[in-house]
Amino acid sequence: MTHMELLATFYTHYGAMRFHKRCAKEGMLSKMAPVPRVLSASCGVCVRFEAACAPNAEEHEDMERCYTVAASGAYAPVEG
Amino acid sequence: MKQKLSVTLAGLAVGLVAVCLGVFGNPANMALCVACFIRDTAGSLGLHRAETVQYMRPEIIGIVFGAFFTGLAKKEFASKGGSSPYTRFLLGVCVMVGALVFLGCPLRMVLRIAGGDMNAVVGLLGFALGILTGIFFLNKGFSLKRSYDQPAVEGFGLPAANALLLILLVASPALLFFSANGPGSMHAPLLMSLAGGLIVGAAAQRSRLCFIGGVRDAVMFKDFHMLMPFAVVFATVLIGNLATAKFAFGFEGQPLAHTEWVWNVLGLYLVGFGSVLLGGCPLRQLVLASCGNSDAAVTVLGFFAGSAICHNFGLASSGAGTSAGGRVAFVVCMAFAFATATANTRILHKAREVLT
Repeated sequence: MTHMELLATFYTHYGAMRFHKRCAKEGMLSKMAPVPRVLSASCGVCVRFEAACAPNAEEHEDMERCYTVAASGAYAPVEG
Repeated sequence: MKQKLSVTLAGLAVGLVAVCLGVFGNPANMALCVACFIRDTAGSLGLHRAETVQYMRPEIIGIVFGAFFTGLAKKEFASKGGSSPYTRFLLGVCVMVGALVFLGCPLRMVLRIAGGDMNAVVGLLGFALGILTGIFFLNKGFSLKRSYDQPAVEGFGLPAANALLLILLVASPALLFFSANGPGSMHAPLLMSLAGGLIVGAAAQRSRLCFIGGVRDAVMFKDFHMLMPFAVVFATVLIGNLATAKFAFGFEGQPLAHTEWVWNVLGLYLVGFGSVLLGGCPLRQLVLASCGNSDAAVTVLGFFAGSAICHNFGLASSGAGTSAGGRVAFVVCMAFAFATATANTRILHKAREVLT
């Protein structure tokens, strides 16, 4: 199955940490990082990860939004 | 790369503004200090009656407007809040107590180091330890819970109040208190201070400049680019001080500083720890509040209240050293910060549930 690079932003640091741990538990490659400036004026934390499809933000505690990351580094919000 | 350039330029802007304001009249090693300038503004409004630290600092008004208009122009102004506001208010008080034990916010700490004040180097140790303590709690699941979208009036509250302060300062200064001597009486011309604040506010908004975020990112993510402003502000102000013969190396006789090293460490420890719990340094709180974050606005109100409490009850340090009341207030604030961190940390919640 083809995996795509995704990035999820969170309302809280705790939400990001929890999602990051969940990714690790499910064997998904993931990394916590500062939110890229182009995505937010806030200085929160995001999780970069690889998955076959984008998760539903509403199903994860404090997840704000999910983006696909293109090879060029451009971000596109995942709708829905 | 663009982000690195942005924070570097922001650091340069802040450093140059600090040098200019210092040359044109702001107190030595205190050309820019969010904690001290909020304290002076609180004094000017009569919230405290310490006669030597009362002046409506145009820099604070400028920072708020600089960040506010930049946020509006870039469509990044958004009314948000509701993340434990009362706790944030009290943490704001605690951070101000810590800052007034040390005598300065993290920005002033950098200015003091660049002026040769070794007491601030000692303070830097406490600041770093405080941030590490905060990061420990973050890693254990500390959270003040999420914020939510709010009505526009919440977000516009602080910029609107800021406009009133400017009107008061320009149209009816007779209503305000102004120091006749002491640091409150030392200031650059109004328009220069206002312009300096506007530049700092705009630069800080665009770059997300934060003296806490830099250390947090370096420790947690090995991302060092937000530490760049530290270095650039330091280098710019150091060169400025050397060029204007204001550099004085040592511990003794430093302007608006004391030599009680334990309390310099502890004061900034509380500032670092409290600021991590709040999610940003005092400058960052001011910028976030200017861009519609009502949680940060409540924190700024906590800074005002904290400064008023410190000066009304003789808790603030002076050049002679800390006060007995200040040391007691520090212990109370530290206990509150640790209690808040513990009570809002999920892993400790779970441990308690297991025990009960």
